[in-house]
Parts: sequence; C-alpha cells; structure tokens
Amino acid sequence: MEYKTENEIIKEIKKVFKQAKCSIKKERRIEVILNKRNIMEFALRMQKNWDFPHLSAISCVDWIDEKQFELVYHFWSYNKKVLVSAKIRIPREKEPHTDSIASLWQPAKFFERDIHEMFGVVFDGNNELEKYILTDWDGPPPMRKDFITREFALNFYSYREYNPEWLQEIIKQGDKND
Amino acid sequence: MEEKLTQRSVWEKILNKLRKRSLWMLHYCTGCGAIELPPTMTARFDMERFGITPMVTPRQADILLITGYLSAKTLKRVILTYEQMQAPKWVVGFGSCTINGGMYWNSYATIKKLDRYVPVEIYIAGCMPRPEAIINSFNVLIQRIDEGKANSWKDYYENYDYYKKNQEAVLGKFDTLVDIKDDAKKFNIV
Amino acid sequence: MIEKREYELFIGPNHAGISGNYSLHLTLEGDKIIKAKTDAGYLHRGFEKLMEERLFIQNIAIVCRICVPDPDPNEENYARAIEEIAGIEVPERGKYIRTLVLELARLASHLFTFGGHAGSIGLYSLPNWTVADRDRIMELFEELTGGRVYHIFILPGGVRRDIPKGFKKRVMEVMDYLEKRLPEYDDLFFENAIFIKRSKGIGIMTPEQAITWGATGPNIRACGIPADIRKDDPYEAYPYIDFEIPTRTEGDAYARAMVRRAEFVQSINIVRQVIENMPEGPVWNKIPNPLKWKVPAGDAYVRTESSKGEFAYYLVSNGGQKPYRVHVRGASVTHGVHILENLLVGARIEDASQIMFSLDACPPEIDR
Repeated sequence: MEYKTENEIIKEIKKVFKQAKCSIKKERRIEVILNKRNIMEFALRMQKNWDFPHLSAISCVDWIDEKQFELVYHFWSYNKKVLVSAKIRIPREKEPHTDSIASLWQPAKFFERDIHEMFGVVFDGNNELEKYILTDWDGPPPMRKDFITREFALNFYSYREYNPEWLQEIIKQGDKND
Repeated sequence: MEEKLTQRSVWEKILNKLRKRSLWMLHYCTGCGAIELPPTMTARFDMERFGITPMVTPRQADILLITGYLSAKTLKRVILTYEQMQAPKWVVGFGSCTINGGMYWNSYATIKKLDRYVPVEIYIAGCMPRPEAIINSFNVLIQRIDEGKANSWKDYYENYDYYKKNQEAVLGKFDTLVDIKDDAKKFNIV
Repeated sequence: MIEKREYELFIGPNHAGISGNYSLHLTLEGDKIIKAKTDAGYLHRGFEKLMEERLFIQNIAIVCRICVPDPDPNEENYARAIEEIAGIEVPERGKYIRTLVLELARLASHLFTFGGHAGSIGLYSLPNWTVADRDRIMELFEELTGGRVYHIFILPGGVRRDIPKGFKKRVMEVMDYLEKRLPEYDDLFFENAIFIKRSKGIGIMTPEQAITWGATGPNIRACGIPADIRKDDPYEAYPYIDFEIPTRTEGDAYARAMVRRAEFVQSINIVRQVIENMPEGPVWNKIPNPLKWKVPAGDAYVRTESSKGEFAYYLVSNGGQKPYRVHVRGASVTHGVHILENLLVGARIEDASQIMFSLDACPPEIDR
C-alpha cells in the first residue's frame, strides 16, 4: 500500500536526525528510535516546524534484563492525521536523569510526575515532581519489575480465615498454571 | 461477631420503632460501587419510600455505606468520618471487596478486610449488587433494629484498642480529635 | 477599613459538588479564586501492576473497572491492541455489534452527565428523569451481555455471543422513546432561562488554549475545532456509517452542554443505521487455547473516542503468556488535572462546582 504522507514525514525527520531509525508500522503509525540526547530538539521541531501540536502520552517500560528504561513519546497531528512514537533508552539506575519537555507542553508536567512516582526517573527542568497519587507511600517505586506486589500484600494486610474442604483439595493437587 | 442481645427498657423499644423508619444515609462515594447508588435513590427503585434519604454531612447521618474497595488514602478519611457520626450508627459493607479483597486481592494499595478497622453490621455480596439487593439489605437492617440486635456500634467503644492498633499499623500515627473513651461513658460502656 | 487577606479552602473528598472521590485545595481572596491545586489518589488500585500478573484472557474481567460510568472503551482498546500485535482479524458482524455496544454506552454516559451538571446548579428534577431513562439502556445491556454495569463482552477476535431473538425490535423501541423525551429535557433544562444565565461565560477556553492544554472530546469541539477520532483514525464499523460532528464556537460551559446534547442525537442515528445494516456471519474468530496462548513480541498504541475524550492504551508484549506492560491513558488525565486548575483561576467560588461538572472529569481514570 502506498503511504504518501507517512513517507514525507520520514524524509523530513531524516534530513535533521541522520542517525534515527524510522519505520512505518501500519497505516497512520510511525516509529522513530532516537538517541536520548536529541529528545529536546526533536520535541521542539515536532511542535514548531512539523505541525504535531498534540502530545497524547508519555509511557515508560522497564526492561530489567537489558538494564534499561525505555521512554516512549506519542505525538499526533490534526492536519496530517498521523501518530509518531519516539523511543529513547536510559540506563536503569536508582535515580536516572533525563531532560524534561514540560516547558513546551503543559500536559507533560503530569505525565512526568506520574513516571517519577511509579518508576523513580528524575526529569531535569520540571520543578513540580512531588508525589501526587501515592502521598503516604514510603516504599520503593511500585511499578519496577523487582517489586512483587503479591508478597507485599500478603505480608502487610491481613485476610479473612476461609478454609473449606474443596479448597484444601485443590491446594493438595498443586497449582498447575503458575 | 456474636449476637449481643441486651435487655431493653420500654423507652428503648419505642425509640427503636421510631428510628427504623427514618434512617439517613451519608452520600459518600468511596469506590466503584457508587454507580449503582443514583438508580437506587431516583425514580425507578426509589428508596425514599422506606424513609431513607441521602445526607451530605456525617454529623446528621445514621448509615455509612462503604461502596466497594478502600485504598489506604481513603481509609484515613473514612475513619475521621466514622468518628464524627453520632451513635447509634451502622456501617454497611457493599460488594465483595470489603469481605476479602475481591478482585484486587493482590494489590499493594487497597485494604482487604473491612472489619479490622471499623465494626460492620451487614455485608452485601456481589460485584456489583443490584439496586434491589441494596433495598433488601436495608430492609434486613430495619428488621434488626426493630428486634434490638443491631448493636455493632457498641463494639467500637468496647474494643477500641484493637481497632486503633490495626488502624495505626496501616496508616501510621494520626489524631482524630475525638475522645472515644470519654464518649463511651455516656452510654455506660466501660 | 476592612483588611483583605488570602485564605485556604479544602473542598474534600466527601462533597456533593465534586463528581467522584477527588479533592481541591483553593486559595481565595474574598469570593475570587487565586490559585487551585488538585489532589488525586483516593481511588488508586495499582491496575497496571495487577495486569502484569494475570494471563491475557484473565485481564478481560478486570479491565472494564478502570472507568466506572463508561466501561466499554476499555475492553475495546485492550482487545484491539492484542489483535494488532497478534494479527487477528475480526469478522464483519462482530465489528457491527461492537459499534452497537460502544454507542449505547455513550448514550448512557451522556444521560448521567446531564444529571450531574443539572445537580450542580440546583435543578434536582433532571437527575431523577435521566437516571431513570438510563435504566432502560441498562436493561438492554443486561439482556445482551448479562450484566448491568460491567459487561465483559468484547474479547480479542470478536464478541462473546450473538444477539438474542427480538433484540433489534427492543433497541428500536428504546431509541424511539429517547427521541420522544428530548423535547421534554429541552423544556426543563436546555432552554431553561436560569441554566442559560448561569452557564454562559463560565470557564471559557479559546481554541489556542484548547490545543496547547491538550483538551480532547466534547471539550475541544465546543471551541470550534472538529476533531473526532471516529473520523480521523477510524476503527470498527465507523467507516461505513454516515454521521456528522457537531461543533460550537463559544467554548464555555453552555457550549459544552449543548455539544453533548447534539452528540446524543447523532448517537441515536448511528444506532439505527447499525441495526438496519448489520451483515450476517460469525461473530468471533477463534483464538488458540487461551490458557496456553503466547502473543508474539511487539507493541501497539490504540485510541478510542469515549464519551469523555481520547482514551488510549499502550500494550507491550515480549512473547510470554502475560502482558509485559500496559499503560492506560484516561481521557480525564488532562481535563481533570491542569485544565481544571487553569480554568478555576479567576472564577468565583460559586461556579467552581459547575466548571468541574461541565468538563466531565472522572477521577477513576486519573488514578487507575
């Protein structure tokens, strides 16, 4: 199928960022893999030069085996009707630092605050990173892969005693699906 | 919780007959079960014909309806609200999340067993219960008040140390500005 | 000489003027609001973590509980993300039934919002009418899916079962009834002189502000920009259906209420077209044994137009039996947090509740 608008956008991106890897996933979806130093300039050009005014979300993925965090920025254009997902990778430390785009987009302030609370990533340039949802929580950032929520819930909260016969038979046979 | 059948004087029996027909419910939407409260209150299932109407302030309410799960942040506000209500007061646990955690049984942010923190009078099963089930449970509560069996609010005064210890284990130390031991003397509970 | 000072007011979680379990910290000088901060987190359950510990097929039962008044876009997004990664096709009749379920959910959610908006002004007759009419749509859902509020009906590959006998006739009867009721709502609420006077000029948003602040859904259509995901990024059976996108230009609370009323009329039209043109065929393409199914590695970003705005899911799979990461972007994440904080500055204290209800901010989507 001929993707005319998508190929034009990829040509413009490659003119400025020669090392970026771009690919078309399907109709109206483009994926761009960038170096983490270029994210501030990429976001500025997206907003001012290439007509992508809407920042839909910022997501964070914890790749624990490769010891990296991946941040994905999703931009949408009302006129061209195409979604561009820009991915960067940062090292997985206790408090990794990266640049913040909150000065360009006001919704980014909430997205970055949410990622800081749940994963522990620090965004330089955003001065409103205090806790929002988990105000009384003083444990580790809960969305990281090394925090096991089942163990925490079984130890911290208490459950009701319930031991009927049919449940004891199932426990004796063992858990087949785990 | 065992049934506490106490000796009632004639005056208390008259009071119970008057109380059961004019219960005011606190309109506090604590969890996702609150979406079935507007159908119960409005024209189709109409609970106002039993004398039950919503009220906005806890100081003038009799029933506290915990609709669904409680996160730890809301539990603190629920305890502050519960201690502001005047006795006799009744807590109704709504849905399976108040019984044993429901479908959030392995979540780090919700509490699992409600009657470790406040004494509960009636549980309603379901996820989520229909408006007819809510009205049925209110009828059961009215029946229990009439027979003199609805005494779970006295349990809070008698076992206050047990409840306080469980609350502080989850929330840390906090002050509710209500002197429970002083209140208990008014009802001759030691 | 009376001294003027600033004071703080906490409109806390137990309040009749707030939709849901949410809290506002306001700084006031006299009657005017100078600064506003929101406080969420009372409904946090840790959904994204819970979804990583359950199989793909077990997640369908819990994913609808993320947004309480409008649960069907959640199931639709989850199913469509898995279909994109695994390359599964949905049969035509399944797409039409999914569209029917989504539009009925939009009608029910708009009826609930009208009642909330009227209750914030003090007109308590309208919630009694609209919540009772919404119950007729709940009865249709109960006949089709088995549950009134949470349906668990849309799964990867299609829908769970076909529509029962006589269902099409009952849906058309309910649509005729709702269309007959609209002039009565106009008399009571939409053309009421008190509502018009109290809501014109409250919470105005210009089109440039709407784009910069990230507004979506009816809030941006009330400022004059015709952006709708059903037309821009189409999905399901929407390319085959004929409908319009209503807009207005003022951008205040009155315009937002009137845009929702116009969308209500369009949704009735869409439901009628879906029922008349539904093709025959199967409703579900079989997926492999769900207890042992491994979805191939990949990621997908899917968006839906829910009744509150843009609802999006980002799903990552690494080839295992459980999802690796699910990120939920609710529609109220921009409306209820900083658009509300921006619009409250300069407003008077008696209009604060109406601004929140007219933006249709729903707290469970912010907290997950």
